[in-house]
Amino acid sequence: MRSKNGGKDFAMFALPGMFCFFAVVIIPFIYGVYLTLTDWNGVAKVKNFIGLKNFGSVMKDAGFWTSLLLTFKYVILVVVLVNILAFAIAYLLTRGMKGQNFFRAGFFTPNLIGGIVLGYIWQFVFSRVFVSIGESTGWKLFEASWLSDPSKAFAALVLVSVWQLSGYMILIYVAGFMGLSEDVMEAASIDGAAGWVKLKNIIMPLMMSSITICLFLTLSRAFMVYDVNLSLTGGAPYGTTEMAAMHVYEKAFTSRQFGVGQAEAFILFIIVACISGLQVYLTKRQEVEA
Amino acid sequence: MKRNLMTRVIALGLITVLMTTMLTGCRFGFASDPDDPNEVEEVEPIDTSVDTFEYDDTLKGTNIVLLNSKAEIQVALEEMSTAFEEKSGVHVEVMPVTDGDSPYTKVVSLYNSGNAPTLSILDTTDVIALAEEKAADLTEETWTAEAENYLTQVNGKVYSFPLCIEGRGLIYNKAVIEEALGEEFDPDSITTLDEFVELLDRLVEGGIEKPVSMAKEDWSLGAHHLQFVYETYDGTSEGAQETIEKIKAGKLDLESYDRMSEFLDAFDVLKKYNVAKADPLGADYDEMAIDLVDGKTAIWFNGNWAWPNMEEAGAEEDDEYGFLPYFMNNDPNDFVNQKIQGSPSKQIMLDGQQATEKEQAAAKEFLNWIVYSEIGQQMLVKTCSIIPPFKNNPYEPSDPLSRDIYERVQADKAFNASAIVPNDHWAILGASMQKYLADRCDREELIEDIQDYWDEQE
Repeated sequence: MRSKNGGKDFAMFALPGMFCFFAVVIIPFIYGVYLTLTDWNGVAKVKNFIGLKNFGSVMKDAGFWTSLLLTFKYVILVVVLVNILAFAIAYLLTRGMKGQNFFRAGFFTPNLIGGIVLGYIWQFVFSRVFVSIGESTGWKLFEASWLSDPSKAFAALVLVSVWQLSGYMILIYVAGFMGLSEDVMEAASIDGAAGWVKLKNIIMPLMMSSITICLFLTLSRAFMVYDVNLSLTGGAPYGTTEMAAMHVYEKAFTSRQFGVGQAEAFILFIIVACISGLQVYLTKRQEVEA
Repeated sequence: MKRNLMTRVIALGLITVLMTTMLTGCRFGFASDPDDPNEVEEVEPIDTSVDTFEYDDTLKGTNIVLLNSKAEIQVALEEMSTAFEEKSGVHVEVMPVTDGDSPYTKVVSLYNSGNAPTLSILDTTDVIALAEEKAADLTEETWTAEAENYLTQVNGKVYSFPLCIEGRGLIYNKAVIEEALGEEFDPDSITTLDEFVELLDRLVEGGIEKPVSMAKEDWSLGAHHLQFVYETYDGTSEGAQETIEKIKAGKLDLESYDRMSEFLDAFDVLKKYNVAKADPLGADYDEMAIDLVDGKTAIWFNGNWAWPNMEEAGAEEDDEYGFLPYFMNNDPNDFVNQKIQGSPSKQIMLDGQQATEKEQAAAKEFLNWIVYSEIGQQMLVKTCSIIPPFKNNPYEPSDPLSRDIYERVQADKAFNASAIVPNDHWAILGASMQKYLADRCDREELIEDIQDYWDEQE
């Protein structure tokens, strides 16, 4: 692949992209890691080097670990629910039922609404619509705003995230289903595979590449959730629904401990990178070619 | 074919019209955003005929930027800037802090990117955090003499211009109270917590089932409620500072500190009569203004900044609203039962790091113009609806809440104390207060949270 004109092509096509990538990803990242080793508060001119002290503070920051634990719970629920739901709906929507294009568009729409707006809309639903339903029907479930009870507020967060993310995943799964070779399906049917057996032994292995993508996307998105968290609950009631990303932001900007916040962000990054990497590695192994 | 096209166009037009009216028509009963900067308020005419202010001609053509973190006066500030430019030739660009950005984050990112605003409207804590690093020294400015008691000093120097006085307490709706009591109501007649409880009981008898509204927001609970613990030490900012230092150093035991338990006594009373008692953390801020104006409640814990919300909910400027003190005990001679808290809140900081000499001079002229020119004085009070901290300003605010604070400041019935607490105080202890409000923790646990918070501070 060596170019003949002394790397001119490389300079022309790759350099601008590389420059942008370095300028907005690599350099800020390295600078961020450097900041974890300083006591910078975001304003001061001098940044004193303090070694690993910030990481020590992270260890002592109980709030961070609570929020991380909550994030894990959230991620597991969201990833599992989104993927099962999206897979099932995509399966139904590729069976040639009437109006399936309309449904596909319908399910995808929530994804087009930004997380902040979505959060506010659902906030209204949970704290006003539900409450008035509760008032008129007397159902205990809707008696008080979901957002004022820690476990219900968490459930609300999961619910909204699943609703938002599913559409996108449905789209990917639909594409996967459409790409399944008719020949293979037909052959399977002739061989007597039907229903569950066909799904488990034929469809699932062939869908593995879609599953890899969807799991990766839901995992990373769920770990980094901030917008819905901010606008739907804002960490309320009393900080019980504060996820890791939000805790990091609060630490850096509200508590003005830039170094500690940055160190927490770095730890979060390592965790997400490891888990996503592991997931891609594991699911990739399951992929087969038709 | 042509006719077909026409029908289509008409149909399309009709659909568009219908859709727009539908969309704008259905508002689900949201009270609109109180901080909406596009809102046009009725303003009193400004008399520009007299202007004795001396403008510096050499500054003509200078451009300066004013970062505004007080969203409700964005339009008013723009008007001020136009008026100032007409007279002085200095252009002041008013840059709003957008929703979702904290003023501090915004100003820091502007500094870090080399675009520092010449002037920034910030909260006192932010000014203190930035002063020595970024701000220009304003100690020598002549206006300092006009606002003597309202200056914030950092190591003996003044780095900020006090823009307004804001006060907080228990807002009452006089008409509603009188209707429920069936007699005249004199706010001064209540001087102790017991008398206040008696009033609430009578309101309940008079048909107002739960007469109090209190916000569940952490800024209200953590900053506006809880800070009374520090600010009522002796009613001065120095006293508040001293209290905080003592708590930090472990010299003041919150468990036995009388202001702490008195504060909780007062808070418990509000909690008991809270209109959202069944689900206090589900309370809706916008609804509180509506409830107070409509008479569903009679008392709302808030500050004079709540006026735009109340006005939107239907309150008129000549309605009778005012403040009751945050009653904390049964000693009628204790200042907390007589006085309202009122202190400078927003401050203007002048950049001393990136602004040129000329820009700094223009910015100083703008500040002087607000204090000394007849036009600036009027606009500060009438256009911005602000309670001015400058004693040479002869104009009085027109909305009932600001007027009440203003009159109390003049009559020495307000105490000027504002505690300077770390920036995350409201968020972290606001969460603890929410827990207490929702009965998910008891006094001991709350006090422990507060003590833990202060122990963690350096």
